[in-house]
Parts: sequence; C-alpha cells; structure tokens
Amino acid sequence: MPLLGSFCLTFALALAAYSFVVGIIAAVRKDAAGFRLAETARRAGMASFVAVLFSAGALVYAAMTNDFSVAYVKEHSNRALPAAYKFAALWSGQEGSILFWCLLLSAYGFVLRLRHKVDQRLTAMASVILAGIQVFFLILVNFETRPFGVLPFAATDGNGLNPLLQYPEMVIHPPLLYLGYVGLAVPFAFGLAALIMRYPGEMWIQITRRWTMVAWLFLSIGIALGGHWAYNVLGWGGYWGWDPVENASLLPWLSTTAFLHSVMMQEKRGMMKVWNAWLVFFGFMLSILGTMLTRSGMVNSVHAFAQSNIGRWFAGDYGWIGTPWRSLPYAYPGFLEVIFAVCLWFYIRNKDHLKSENKLESLVSRESSFLFNNLVLLGACFAVLCGTLFPILSEWVRGYKITVGAPFFNTIMVPIGLFLVFLTAVGPLLAWRSTSFGSVWRAFAIPALISLVVEVILIVIWIRSGIKFWRDISQIYALLAFCLSTLVITTIASEFIRGGRVLKNKLKTNLVFAMYHLTRRNMRRYGGYVVHFGIVVLVVGVAGLAFNQEQEQEMAVGDKLQIGHYTLVGQEYTQDDNANYGSDAALLDVYKDGKFITRLNPERRVYKANGGQPNTIPAKWSTLREDLYVIYAGLNPDTGHPIIKAFVNPLVNWVWLGVLIVALGTGMALVPNTAQIAVRVPQAVAVAAMEKESMQPAGVGK
Amino acid sequence: MKRLLRILLLPCALVLLMGADNQEARFQNLGGKIMCTCSCEQMLLKCNHVGCPNSDRMRKELRAAVQNISSDDEVLNWFRKNWGVTAVVEPSRHGFELLAWILPVAGLGLGLLLVIFVVRSWKLRTAPVAPADAVLDPHLESLRQRAQRETEI
Repeated sequence: MPLLGSFCLTFALALAAYSFVVGIIAAVRKDAAGFRLAETARRAGMASFVAVLFSAGALVYAAMTNDFSVAYVKEHSNRALPAAYKFAALWSGQEGSILFWCLLLSAYGFVLRLRHKVDQRLTAMASVILAGIQVFFLILVNFETRPFGVLPFAATDGNGLNPLLQYPEMVIHPPLLYLGYVGLAVPFAFGLAALIMRYPGEMWIQITRRWTMVAWLFLSIGIALGGHWAYNVLGWGGYWGWDPVENASLLPWLSTTAFLHSVMMQEKRGMMKVWNAWLVFFGFMLSILGTMLTRSGMVNSVHAFAQSNIGRWFAGDYGWIGTPWRSLPYAYPGFLEVIFAVCLWFYIRNKDHLKSENKLESLVSRESSFLFNNLVLLGACFAVLCGTLFPILSEWVRGYKITVGAPFFNTIMVPIGLFLVFLTAVGPLLAWRSTSFGSVWRAFAIPALISLVVEVILIVIWIRSGIKFWRDISQIYALLAFCLSTLVITTIASEFIRGGRVLKNKLKTNLVFAMYHLTRRNMRRYGGYVVHFGIVVLVVGVAGLAFNQEQEQEMAVGDKLQIGHYTLVGQEYTQDDNANYGSDAALLDVYKDGKFITRLNPERRVYKANGGQPNTIPAKWSTLREDLYVIYAGLNPDTGHPIIKAFVNPLVNWVWLGVLIVALGTGMALVPNTAQIAVRVPQAVAVAAMEKESMQPAGVGK
Repeated sequence: MKRLLRILLLPCALVLLMGADNQEARFQNLGGKIMCTCSCEQMLLKCNHVGCPNSDRMRKELRAAVQNISSDDEVLNWFRKNWGVTAVVEPSRHGFELLAWILPVAGLGLGLLLVIFVVRSWKLRTAPVAPADAVLDPHLESLRQRAQRETEI
C-alpha cells in the first residue's frame, strides 16, 4: 500500500506538471491545435485529483490497518486509537497534512475543470494557474515531506495521536479550515487569469464570488470550530488566545472579508479594480502564510503540531555556503515570493486594464463606507500580522524571540473591532453614489436612540448589581460593544421592515410574508444582513469575556467551592484505566442559588502512547446566559486531594450561535434570487455579449 | 456655591473609590501580561499545572512587586530582567519593542493616507461621458428608477 500511495503521488505530480506546461502552451497558441492541447491539459488536471485521492486513500488504509512499517502511521497512530482518529491521522502530522492540502487543491481543481463551460477561456487559464500551485505542493510532498517513508522494521505499535487532537471536533475542524485555506486558491487563479488575459468585463468577479464565499464560509466555520475545540480541550477557560496559528487563520479571513465587500463596488460601479485584484492575491498569499506558520513550527504555538524546515520552501532562504576557499552568499526565493513576483509582473504589464470606470461622487455614500470598511479590515489584518511575525523580527534584529500575546492584541484589536461594528451599522444605511445627511439622519435616528436607551438601561442594571464598570477598561469596551451591537441589529431590522413595507403595499400581503419575498428577491443583500446579524451576536458573546469569574480550590469529598451563583460540592473522586489512557475524575454536584441543577464530571487523562502526556477534559453546565466551566487541575501531592478550578463565562454560547447565524446568512447569499426581471437587452450590452462570444474558442455552446 | 463644591468633590470621591482595590486590579492586570515560565505556555494567573516549579514563586513576586513598585512598566521590566524577556507577553514600550506598537498604528495611518489619495484621485477624475448615440431604453430606465426608489441602491 505505501508503494501504491507513493506511486500515485509521483503520477499526480507528472499529471499536474503536464497540465501546467501544456496549458501554458495552449494559452500561447490560439489555434484549433491549441484548443485540443488545452483540453488534454484540463483532463490531465482532473486525473491528478484521482491520483492524489488514491494516494490519500492509501495512507488512510495504512492507518486503519495499523501498518506501522509506514513511518508516518507509526508517528501518528497506534492500535488502541479509535477508528475516527485513525482517519484523522491523515492531517494530524505534517506530511499527511501537506498531502491533504494537495487532495483538497486537486478536488477544487477537479470541480473547476468540470465546470469549464461557464467560461472556457478564463477557466482554462485559471486551471493552468491552479496546476502551477498543485505542482509546488506535489513537489513538496514527493521530495520534502514524504508521507510514505517506510521503516526498516515494522514497529509493533505506534506512538499514537497527540492527545490534544483526540477530540471529535478534531475530525472536522482541520478539514474545514483547510477547505477555507485551499479554497482561496480558486479566486486567486481566476483573478490572476483575468489579469493575464486582460479579460473584459466583470465576469471573473461573478464567477469567483461564489467560490470566495464558499471558501470564506469554510474558513469561518473552521476558525470557530478551532475556538470551540480550544474551549473544550485546552482547559484554560477561553476560546481565543491570539496564538500565532489562530492568528494565521484570521489573516486570510480578514482580507477575504474585505474583498467580499469591495467586490460589490467593482460589480456595481466598476471601481476598485486594482484593489480587488490585490485583495484576491493577498488573500491567497496569506492562506499560504497560514499554512507555513502552522506546519513549519516557525512560531511557538499550542497548535503548531509540526516542527520542520519546510518554511524555506514557502519563504525562501538565504545564508552563506562554505567552499574550500571562501564562504559565498546564497539566496533563493520561496513559493510566496514567486507568487508575489508573478502577480506584480502581470499587474505592471496590465495595470491600464484595471482603471476605474466611475468616479466617487460623494464622501457620504456606500462607496466611501466600503473604502473605510476595507481600510479598517486591512488595518486589522496588518496589526495581527505585525504581532504574529514580530517575534521572528525580534529574533533577526535582537537575537532573541520576544513573546507577543493576548494583551498586545487585545489593546490593538478591540478598538479596531468596535469601529468595524460601528461601520457595520452605518454602511448599509448609505446609498450608492450619494446620500444626503438628512436621509442618513432619518434612517439612523431611531436605531441610535434605541441603542442609547439600551446603554442607559445596562448602566443602571450594572450599577444596581454592584458592577463598577468604569474601573475596568474591558467592561467599558463591553458596554460599547453592547451599544454598537444594538445599533447594528436595529439598523438591520429597519432595513428589513422598510423594504418589507414597500412590498407589503405592492403585493397586498402581510409584513412577514413581504419580508420573506423581499429576501428571496435579493438573497445576496439580505443574506449579507443576516451575516452582519451573526457577527454582532458573536460580538455580544465576546463582550461577555469582560465579566468572566474564576476560582481554584483544593476539594476533598464534601468540600464546597463557591463561584458566582454556583456552589460545587465534591461527591466522589475516581480513577480509571483503559488501553488508550488512564484518568482521574471528579464527581461534583452543582447548586445554583441553593438549588441542585446538575452533576459535573471533569477529568484529567494521561495518554499512554505519548509518553504520559496529560490532558484536561473540562465539564460544563452551559446556558445561553453563561457557562459554568470546571477543570480537574490535578492532585495536590502533599494532601492527595484534587484541585478543582471553576470558571463562570458569560455569553459564551452567543459566540457559537453567532457563527451558526453567519453560516446561515452566507448560505442564503449563495442561493439565487427568485424573481428575475426580464428586460430587453440594450445595444451596449448586446455588443459586449457579442465581444464575449467572439472570445470563445470555436465550437463552444453549439 | 455648595452645589459647585459638590460637583467638584464628586470626581475626587470617584478617584478615591477607584483606588480602593487598585492593588488587586493591578495584580490581576499584570498577571495577565506575564507568562508562566515552566514551558506550559499559559499565562501566570491561568497556569493550572499542578506542582509547577515557577508559578507560585512568580505570583508571590508579582504581589510583592505590585505593592513596592508604583509603575506597571517597571513591574514588567523587573520580570523581564529576572525571568527573561519571554516572560512578559506584551512588548515593552521602549527601544526596539516599541516598534511592535507603532507598526499597526502606522499601517492604519498609511492606509488612511492611501484612502484619501484614492478618494482625491476619484473626485478629480472626470466622469465617463456616455456616447452621443447611446439610446436609453425607456422601459429599462423606468425599471431602474423604480428599483432605485424601492431599494435605494
């Protein structure tokens, strides 16, 4: 099986290389022979997916059948490991995860090539670019991080999977995150193809919008699942620690969010073409950077499950090479530099093609709100990038790596985030081209008043509850977050109601039905509002962090721990042992205001196959209002009593709820509208359509 | 006059109240900026590593430092000096590490300048002129106007 897997990988590389080289030749030759060559390149690209699929299947098979002659399987699996985690071993180590990258990339390529009739010429060029990316990753997996390395002697058992990864979500979190990362290759390929071909019109934008939204959705869910996993497994009571690997996933998310907004300006007004092209390019480059940070071990992280020197393949390298006579300097570019150089080259050659078609008519307009939205999103992206890479910079300059952690990111990012929420409230109220201040005021007055009232009510409630929020900057930020979230929710509601009223009068129906029709007629716009609603629900959840409480105590049987409204009473402490791990657990009765509500069972496991690595399994009592989160921290060696740590984390479930709403809204925005208004084609559009037709190779559409 | 005096005294009382449990707030705040050095990769006040060789000692030192040193920066510098630069997870606001604080702000500032430049160039550009022979479809135009009226797009 390792031999088959290895062969399939080499074959996939040959097919991708063929697809790349012959695709370029076909793009240069514009005759019938060129068209036939392009078709062979397309089919070779599709076949490469089948080859990589076989290869990945071979690795999974080896893990499932405990084939410990394969070094990778020995390192990341063991006999006692449950089957789902054996399957997850495919992406739990570096070699497997790069193979998984190749698999997802070739799968995206397969779908893209399958749907080539959308626009054959553009898809052919995008397919060449995608093949180029495939070639890089297949070279990496064939020569640097080989998953099918065979040991001289088959081991009797493996080292097992990292205990932190032995959690159900770990079976779906990495694939979703990778689907997001890799998915950004498709809009990149279309964007670069359109620039190379000087492709007329905004067709590439329309084609890539859905691809980008799908990738963004996967990325969003992947990031959220990562946070959920951290909350449930790492046992420190939080879900986001500004860890470098978490940041690496946030970078492409922020730049793609900016793109999804600014792309509307290009579609509707023919503006920001340069900006959009570079946003697509940077989005992909940041996803590659994220992959590099996760897999190279360049930065210290609890998520960096691999340490290696593949960083030089991505970022290049420089240094001195020793010869018998003298040392000579050397430097070579990595994949990131090559991509940047290619993008820059074609941008310089074809930048006149990206000129804006319209001018900004007013500073108070939807266009300018998108500009500021992009500025803030990219500013946030830059700030996260600075903080993430600063330890590396400090090592270069000062010789040691400083630590840049959560306090730095919170100081910088919270004000930026709050300003973004403010823009989310204001932006949709502005019309395209120009909006009068009177119109803004009319739309904004009631939401602003409601949010002000909510703020006053909150202040009164907090003061009556003894919360001295003015002493804690995080609670002041939380107050602002609640206020701005109310503002966003009321503006979204007012948009739905305003549009619904117009339709209600027209269709002679009730408001709810009218709002449903309104949404179905413009799924993208109203789906976008639902996404905004999801984001503010998430913001409310994050604001709850300012009110977290924690308490740690040594607890014998019958001892009590008091935290907030809750009382925990130690009932029983047990020990267990199975083939995979040994565990210590506590059984705690939980009372809220003196009333019994549940029994919690926090656990601490020590995995046998990983050199006795301990892992905490928190127990939770979870409601929409707050989570009671309990950890079995360990045994006090002096007294032999367990140490229990409890947290009360308000509004955590709002974070997960917000992500679900974001996913729902994105799904809505992907659904086509119901009512298409048929209009006669004006002369200018007909000419454009004829030009497009003339660009298609002979025989298309017949 | 009495009313004015009360108004002036109110902020003073607030300031005094704010200082009441200032030491504990400082301890919590600074503890969130210092990392346990036992390689557990957790913040000092979050370290749940039983039998940790460092966290108890570090917490005691932090409590003492909060009582004896008035400036937060000096407390953090004390930890940098005694436990190594990686013990503090927030870059210092002096020397090379100041760059970490400046870069994001400078990036946003440059971005703002870029936006101003783009807006200016757009405002200065003349609007594209429709061809003289372009004939507007009256039906399409009426639909466009209706859509604009109804949706403000």
